[in-house]
Amino acid sequence: MAQRTVVVASASGLHARPAKLFVQAAVKAGVPVTIRAGEKAVPAKSMLGVLSLGVVQGTEVTLEADGPGAEEALDTLAALLSRDLDAEEALDA
Amino acid sequence: MRDDLLDPRAVLLHESAPDREAAVRRCGRALADVGAVAEPYVEAMLERERSLSTYVGEGVAIPHGTNASKGDVLRDAICVVRFPGGVDWDGEHVTLCVGIAAKDNGHVPLLAALAEILLDPDRARALREATEVSDVIKELTA
Repeated sequence: MAQRTVVVASASGLHARPAKLFVQAAVKAGVPVTIRAGEKAVPAKSMLGVLSLGVVQGTEVTLEADGPGAEEALDTLAALLSRDLDAEEALDA
Repeated sequence: MRDDLLDPRAVLLHESAPDREAAVRRCGRALADVGAVAEPYVEAMLERERSLSTYVGEGVAIPHGTNASKGDVLRDAICVVRFPGGVDWDGEHVTLCVGIAAKDNGHVPLLAALAEILLDPDRARALREATEVSDVIKELTA
């Protein structure tokens, strides 16, 4: 089981835009990824699941995945969470 | 759960909209009507929607403004706007919008509660098909 623990950097936490970008990346990851906050774990590709975690900026979350490609997938997703996606919004617009 | 986020006057259960833009505008107006946002916030909601759909699943979208528009949020609030006839949402079928005006993280627990409801098919259906304002408020703030 590959695992990464990361502190969510986005100003608006993991809902709204950052959540959508994270979920889109998880769908593309190719391996099933679980995201855990506290006692609760949900599939990373479920927008509703991720929203239900109620993650705010500064919350520590753990990503988990198994199988071929798991390490790379988690690196990508952890890197995404550790960036402030809200601050990058102006650049995307 | 904060119970001051959802004004009963911001629960509209019998709306119709020809398209996504009109639906987002309706949500923005509902938030403006209860004094939660200044007018420019509505345009910011449309901008956000165009750059990234706010569809979350189960026929529900959560329109909200961009980060740059937080200055137009006068107080944290949500609105619940139902479109019984449905609205095409970039290929998805939306019948319920939960519009969000938030300066900080005050609305996150409510959003998490909404997601919990939508993950339960029976509760999701009850929320989508609610015909009484009091039922919607009870469901979301219980």
